[in-house]
Amino acid sequence: MFSSSSAARAHLKPQPWRWSHPRVLVEHPDEATGLAIASGLRFAGYAVAICPGPAGHGRCPLAGPAGCAPAHDADLVVSSLGYERETAREVLRALRTHYPDTPLLVEAPSDMDTGMRELLDGAHQLPAPASTEQIVAAVRSLSGHTADEGPADA
Amino acid sequence: MRSPFQSEQEAFRSVMLAMLALIAVVLAAVLGPTWLAPVVLAVVLGAVAVRVAQVRMRKLRGLELPVKMAPAHLGSASERRVLVVANDTLSEEALLSELERLASVPHTHVLLLVPALISPGARLTGAVDGLLDQARLRLKTALDRVGHDLVVGGGISDADPLEAVEDAFATFVPDEVIVSTGWERAANGLEPQLAGLVRERFAVPVRHLVFEPGSVTQEPDKDTEARYRHEFGEAAARKFGLKALAGAGILAAVLLSVVAVVQSSERDEARAASQATAAQTAGLPPIAKVVDLSVIPEYKRGPEGEKHDAFTTTDFTVRAGQPQQLRIDNTDTVPHSITAPEAGVKIVVIPGTHTYTLLVKQPGRFLWFCSFVCDEWAMQHPGYMSGYISAI
Repeated sequence: MFSSSSAARAHLKPQPWRWSHPRVLVEHPDEATGLAIASGLRFAGYAVAICPGPAGHGRCPLAGPAGCAPAHDADLVVSSLGYERETAREVLRALRTHYPDTPLLVEAPSDMDTGMRELLDGAHQLPAPASTEQIVAAVRSLSGHTADEGPADA
Repeated sequence: MRSPFQSEQEAFRSVMLAMLALIAVVLAAVLGPTWLAPVVLAVVLGAVAVRVAQVRMRKLRGLELPVKMAPAHLGSASERRVLVVANDTLSEEALLSELERLASVPHTHVLLLVPALISPGARLTGAVDGLLDQARLRLKTALDRVGHDLVVGGGISDADPLEAVEDAFATFVPDEVIVSTGWERAANGLEPQLAGLVRERFAVPVRHLVFEPGSVTQEPDKDTEARYRHEFGEAAARKFGLKALAGAGILAAVLLSVVAVVQSSERDEARAASQATAAQTAGLPPIAKVVDLSVIPEYKRGPEGEKHDAFTTTDFTVRAGQPQQLRIDNTDTVPHSITAPEAGVKIVVIPGTHTYTLLVKQPGRFLWFCSFVCDEWAMQHPGYMSGYISAI
């Protein structure tokens, strides 16, 4: 009844945003790197959510019928899921399909195949691996938000 | 007060479901048998209880996808805000030293949060003041030691520790969280797995300082943290399992009690109705099994002095719904009748002696008359060829 299997996790939607705009969803499989990026973004004035993506947690709800609350209400998405695996590409495909108006910054591998290139067509790209500073600068550039404006806590 | 809903849609959905449940209960009460409303109510309450348990378990065991969140940094870029969560370890020298060290770092603000750890039992009984005082005293002692000024602030909370941390994220907006606990949970201490729960939910660095009484502070390795989470999950599952069983038992007991009360009430009503009928019947005059009478031409003298045709008995008392036998000797050469349209009675009395059945279904007093043309005056006057049937 209280199983914590990955199958059970796959049926649950992540929690919605608790913080105000501007909001950036960071998809990163590595916890420490995700935290470092989140810290950089927070000090640049963004509320953040970090999601490890589908790694180890079954199918991402973003790619399923339930949808994903953090992605739905994000002002910008930073996607750094690697994309060697089909599940990661499925997430990226779902992002492009469900939220075409949400700015998407993808940390993309240099050796992309044709399918990946087509998938990234029109998205903003950073060559992987990107540093936290590069990601924060790119987010600022995409959102038009500057550090001088201070935290957007409205 | 904390809203139990995570979004407006969820609140709207909950209101709609509550209305549907209410409608179902009302319809069951109005249209169904007496026992149906309590059963529907029990089903609704059971469904609510299961849903609440599911949500609570998901929260406790971290079944949601591990999306961490944090608000934007508050203050200038050089400022750093540290939230320290502690209760029973606040007297530890190592923790106090760590607080002093943090407070001495330039541009660092520290908030010392002391959850009062009020158990559900204490909330129910209202015994929260002692726990709040205890938390307040621990906080005061710690602040007296490290010095409370603009750099170090403190607060106690009567909320669940995790909710207290969430509240602190909304007001203090920390850039780092330090959770201080013992290796094992003390009677009035924070759960060691609190650090893991905070780490799962918030996108800021979380340090877990663990104390062994009298020893220096340590930070547990990943395996130990994982063990804390696992043990906590198992304990939470056991606790909720027991609560669910107790809840189901209480619900079943309440339901059975309600059904028993309803059935008892119905039995009482039926008994009372039966007794009332018996009493009513007992109070009635006895009625003969068969009533003997005759129809005789020119039998009875009228007020004008002339003789008229007449039934020898013209007033009949019967029990409503019960047949009454009439043995009638019609001495005339033509048929007569006992006709009472309002009572649904029409008995044709042929010449000779025959037995007839008089049946009136509803109580009342009904006029009858002979519908065959005979003595015209007598047909219009009770006591002659007319009379009354009293059904009781």
